[in-house]
Amino acid sequence: MALRVLTHDERAASGLLAGLVAVLMAVTAFPILYSLWISLFAVNLRRPNRMPFVGLDNYANVLASPQFWESVGRTAIFSAMSVGAVLLVATLVAVLLDQDFPGRRVLSACLLIPWAIPSVANGLMWKWIYDSNYGALNGLLLQLGFISSAMIWLGDADRTLGLIANAFIWKEVPLAAILLLVTLKSIPADLYGAAAVDGAPAWHRFVHVTFPALRPGFLLVALYEAMMAVRHFDLFFLLTEGGPGGASDVVAWRIYVETFRNLSFGTGAAMSYILAIATLLMSYALIRSMARQL
Amino acid sequence: MTATPMMSRRSALAVGASALALPFVRPARAAEAIGFATWSAAVDQVKAHVAGFEKKTGLSVAYSNSPYAQYRETLITKFTGGAPLDMLWVSDAWLPEFAQAGWLAPIDPYKQLMAYDAVTSDFCVKSTMFEGKQYGLTYYTDYMGFFYNADILAKAGIPAPPTTWEEVTAQAATIKAKGLLDYPVVIGMAQESWMIEFMSAMVYSTGGRFVDDAGNAVMQDPKSGAVAALGWLAEAVNTHKILSPGCVSTGELEVLKTASAGRAAFVLLPKYRLKVLADPAQSQAAGKFKQALMPMGNGGSHATVGWMRFYGATPRALSAGRADGVVQLMEWFGGKADGDYVFQKTILKDLALSFGIKDLYNDPAVRADLGSYGDADLMAKQQDLARKKDTIAPWFGEWNDTHGTAWQQAISGKLSVAAALKTSAEKWAALKKAG
Repeated sequence: MALRVLTHDERAASGLLAGLVAVLMAVTAFPILYSLWISLFAVNLRRPNRMPFVGLDNYANVLASPQFWESVGRTAIFSAMSVGAVLLVATLVAVLLDQDFPGRRVLSACLLIPWAIPSVANGLMWKWIYDSNYGALNGLLLQLGFISSAMIWLGDADRTLGLIANAFIWKEVPLAAILLLVTLKSIPADLYGAAAVDGAPAWHRFVHVTFPALRPGFLLVALYEAMMAVRHFDLFFLLTEGGPGGASDVVAWRIYVETFRNLSFGTGAAMSYILAIATLLMSYALIRSMARQL
Repeated sequence: MTATPMMSRRSALAVGASALALPFVRPARAAEAIGFATWSAAVDQVKAHVAGFEKKTGLSVAYSNSPYAQYRETLITKFTGGAPLDMLWVSDAWLPEFAQAGWLAPIDPYKQLMAYDAVTSDFCVKSTMFEGKQYGLTYYTDYMGFFYNADILAKAGIPAPPTTWEEVTAQAATIKAKGLLDYPVVIGMAQESWMIEFMSAMVYSTGGRFVDDAGNAVMQDPKSGAVAALGWLAEAVNTHKILSPGCVSTGELEVLKTASAGRAAFVLLPKYRLKVLADPAQSQAAGKFKQALMPMGNGGSHATVGWMRFYGATPRALSAGRADGVVQLMEWFGGKADGDYVFQKTILKDLALSFGIKDLYNDPAVRADLGSYGDADLMAKQQDLARKKDTIAPWFGEWNDTHGTAWQQAISGKLSVAAALKTSAEKWAALKKAG
């Protein structure tokens, strides 16, 4: 088959785009491919002159490590808690903001505050809130008389993941609520009108009209939040550094420790690829499910 | 008449090309500034001292700094990328890995620098040594100190601070029983960079060690290891309830804030924090915290852990043609400048950062400064009892990750003391074997 000769305009456009493509390749494709390359070597910066090719050994070692699978388990628990709670709270907030009431605009603006706060500031704020010695949460609960002595928050291994998930949810709910609110706004008003004519009470209208219409929004939010939760690092770094006793040692934290503390860039890159592939598979499954249900 | 162009098209192109190429042309090596990297501390003091050096020597210094939390990673990136670095601040914990990787060069050939060893605290000199060679001069040093809130002790009717860990337990129990504090002892056991210093102080004071002179793990040995120290912590949390279970999420800064809020009777903190504790603008407990020698364990001593940060030099810095200027700069900061320990005194006065030069404890200005918030003689006495961390090895970071987790699990009662230290020792042995 003969190749089509580009027109003058197409050649000019290609020339103009070539620079951008080159920049994108340099800043995106190159690091991705380079990290794939180094995942095939025993790269440890403590031994910069000794980096033998090990093929897929780094991947095999990671997948054979019980510590890695424990961190996978924690990541799954954290993600499930976070995504479920974000969906629930964001739905309630979106439904609330879809109503017409005085102060709705002010409330909508306030809702954006957690989203606008930088991740590091968010982490440090929650660290202060959760501190067992002088934290705001203990202070509040003591003043309200709910507790008689200071509680241990992040220091309690059984509570740590839940508390970090809470900080994550607080930051993520605004965006999720806005996405769901946009979906809510797109529901034709005559559907509610018809339901009202049929005498459907508010709860039935929500279950049979609102909820099905929200499904695309749910799937979109679930997809986005699941990707964010699985890869989340900031709060683990700022609040617990994987502790106490490894209770918050999730995959993203393990990658950081392996790469930047242990300087094992080869193993760290292999872990990153495993996480990326898992995230892609999870996203693919969610998108397939989304396509099937729409 | 035809006007003569001021510059031909070819000349203009040549000038343009030269201008574009300018950023990529390295200046002549001799004229290149000395690259000096630090973490983001004492920035104004460093800048002022650099300016003094440039004025005196005519040499120029390219000073840069980056946050401590990312400093090690930043340095490693620079080393592997071949960035023009000459002198830098280095933590004692990083020395083996930096030296082994060939990123630092020994300073043994430079007698004017080595002369300071004779007047420097022993643990500071030892902390700059790796495989028999010395890699720098002290920037600042400090040790883990034991501090008590005299006001709370008085309210509890305790006449004198504890001298042993058993007395700490007993006094803390009294304070708790009198309802003065829920958790009188505050020690940071969060998984952070300070954790090993807190641990080492307790281990040394109970007469234990993590590692023997040959570099083999002894931490699991009930007689000479870390068992007594970890056992005390676990009992303090789980049996006596004088130390909060939240200590595993309490970092050094949280210890300071808790003490500053007057919510601690006994704390372990770096000695330089005493100045903050004594400052009414920063501490509600100003004037109440006093220093005592580190309590002893059974068969232990008042020993504590000391650490230091030092000025190191890269192999490029100590190459022919550059060494002279870099050695001068290292002495200007880590030794004397114009015949006096100017920088050491400046950072002590401004930031309470302590020094490795022993004689400075006899300097009237230094004594007056230290005396304004503590007992200079006691500080000097405790510094004499400080020992370098025995866990410093190229694999320290990797071991510390496993070790910290095991230690926290033992404190939380999820693992026995013996099992936790066995895990730590096995990890150490495996990493040592792997090199």
